[in-house]
Amino acid sequence: MLHRTISRKTVLKSAVAATTAFGIPAFLPRIGDAAAELAIGLVEPTTGIYATYGEYERAGIAMAVDEWNARGGVMGRKVVTVAEDDANDPGVGVQKARKLVQQDHCVALIGTINSGISLSVSGAANSLGVMFMDSGGHTDDVTGKNCNWNTFRVCHSTWMETHATGVDLAQRFGKKWYLITPDYAFGHSLYDGYVDVAKKLGVEIIANDLVPLTLTDFSPVLTKVQAAKPSLLIVLNQGDQFVNALKQASAFGIAKSTPIGGPQCELEAVEALPVEARVGFWGVEWYYDSPLSVGPAGTPGRKFAADYKKRYGKTASARSAFGYISMDRVLWSMAEAKSTDALKTCRALENSKFNSIFQGSAYFRKEDHQLMWPMLIGEIQPNGTPGDKDNLFKIIGSQPADKVEQTVAEKAKVCTITYPS
Amino acid sequence: MLEHLAPQIVNGLMLGAFYASVAIGLSLIMNLTGVINMAHGSLLTLGGYFAFMLAAIGTPFAIVLIAAPILTALVGLAIERGLMRPLYGRDPLYSLLLTFGLSLIAEEVYRLIWGSNGVPVSAPAALQGGVSFGSFQVPTIQLFTAAVLVIAMSALWLFLNRTRFGLRLRAAVQDTEMIAALGTNTQVLYMVNFCLGVLLAGLAGVLAATQLGLNPTSGNALLMPAFVTVIVGGMGSLLGALAGGLLIGMTISLMTLFFPAASDVSMYVIMAVILLIRPRGLFGEEGLFG
Repeated sequence: MLHRTISRKTVLKSAVAATTAFGIPAFLPRIGDAAAELAIGLVEPTTGIYATYGEYERAGIAMAVDEWNARGGVMGRKVVTVAEDDANDPGVGVQKARKLVQQDHCVALIGTINSGISLSVSGAANSLGVMFMDSGGHTDDVTGKNCNWNTFRVCHSTWMETHATGVDLAQRFGKKWYLITPDYAFGHSLYDGYVDVAKKLGVEIIANDLVPLTLTDFSPVLTKVQAAKPSLLIVLNQGDQFVNALKQASAFGIAKSTPIGGPQCELEAVEALPVEARVGFWGVEWYYDSPLSVGPAGTPGRKFAADYKKRYGKTASARSAFGYISMDRVLWSMAEAKSTDALKTCRALENSKFNSIFQGSAYFRKEDHQLMWPMLIGEIQPNGTPGDKDNLFKIIGSQPADKVEQTVAEKAKVCTITYPS
Repeated sequence: MLEHLAPQIVNGLMLGAFYASVAIGLSLIMNLTGVINMAHGSLLTLGGYFAFMLAAIGTPFAIVLIAAPILTALVGLAIERGLMRPLYGRDPLYSLLLTFGLSLIAEEVYRLIWGSNGVPVSAPAALQGGVSFGSFQVPTIQLFTAAVLVIAMSALWLFLNRTRFGLRLRAAVQDTEMIAALGTNTQVLYMVNFCLGVLLAGLAGVLAATQLGLNPTSGNALLMPAFVTVIVGGMGSLLGALAGGLLIGMTISLMTLFFPAASDVSMYVIMAVILLIRPRGLFGEEGLFG
């Protein structure tokens, strides 16, 4: 039999360790517990290929939070945010959503870039009974076949993006298109949108190369594009893949020989491209320096862009705007409903027209919870403008939301919002 | 069909050369020290950032191509001296965990220094554009990458086979204890070997930055193809790294022609087949990792 003696010193050490491990946390304030604080959970990527977009969205969110807090908060409560990294993984997104609501007591969730995570967090928020504001995941399904009563979306749907850009691209560059599509929810839904545009306009999609989201080198695909000689190359990839595809298209000489365009192009991605690869006509969702997007001098949009630049030392992007609008609307809904109850705040948002940091008014459509706001078309200006090297787009058109989004009747075929009794 | 196959075969060779350039450094470090360097992708990224910084101050590309890998190797030297040395001879899991941690730290450090957004890096004007092969064109920068790979591999082969130090390195791979007993300072061998591997990572980083995006995580995306290349080609074999890279590049390129959605997964299928038929890889030595 083994006899072990336990010294007094060991007992004391154990006691100190136990107190530290179990005792002290009880005295630490828990986020969201204090009546004076209202916690909103952010599910955004801080690592991985979409980390940049997450950073810009969080910066916009912080601007909205500070504005509300400067006005006295919401129902007298100071607004705080708790951010979690979704690691660009739908499963992790769900875990983080649960943690934010159950452990950190967040009363609403905002965020996501990757459409797959938007869908998974939307489902998690539904089971948790809190509002989820999808700031940046574009797939149609979020406000389509996977719509639910507590999910709203600020950024445009893929249908809006493809239908806003498709007509313009066909008019400019003819009707023989080659598509490169990322093989996940977002890419598939963009492809479906362009197929619909192609049918209506008599466009021939001569090839659609589905490429894995992990693909780094686009040269095999671009070799095929070279041989196919399309009238237009449409790149549906975003983030790092967008940068790699455009950079390699430039190396292959395709950027000079073949027009390039697509449904969506982010300012952050263009900034990461060398000048020779900055080409094309693209869908743009918000732009800091266009009257078509933010209106003339003195408008809230211009003020937001100026304040953002002053605060962060960089130019506000569409992602910054998504973050700002998302947080602003979530807090407005709570102030309007005088409650944090998800059912009441969701009801408050539906069909309520509002003005924000973009030109004109907008509203979340009651039937699918999609934000109805204009979609822009822009041409890349490779060198910016004199005095502003970040001014990389020339906005050449704006399409009203009701012209480019599916009608309520069309949406009713896939989305029926049912509220809990 | 031939008019479609020919460009993809040429492209596969170019892609393979690129993967081989990333894999050689990884293979070199793994071969002597048994270190599975999970930070190889981050060091590759660092090479790209050094190139970006040097280009920004107007340094000619020829100098960037030499200076950026050397600067990366100096960082490798600090890692080897400060962190890696105590782990030699231990279970490879230790160095794997260390380098994995290092890659996470490096990512955040790059983010703090250069921001989370990508930075624009151009190929020099002389390497922009393409070379026509009849019906198709190959980017000049890809041909340049292949040429650099051939030069780097030839230099490495000469170093390992025609210099006294290189011969000691190869002998140490066979039997470290014996060569130490004969009076060779194995710690110096390890250090040079590690720095050489990191130097090659830096070189691959410069070449990658001219062709692909450069951001804090961009090198990590190239790490997996590099590991597959090393496993397929055989650990520790220069020829293996080249053969593995070309096989992987060719497979991805041809798969893209017929079924692009499976292009990425095809390299793992090749790896699985090679592991089943010849577990040591195409040119690897048996029992390298015991």
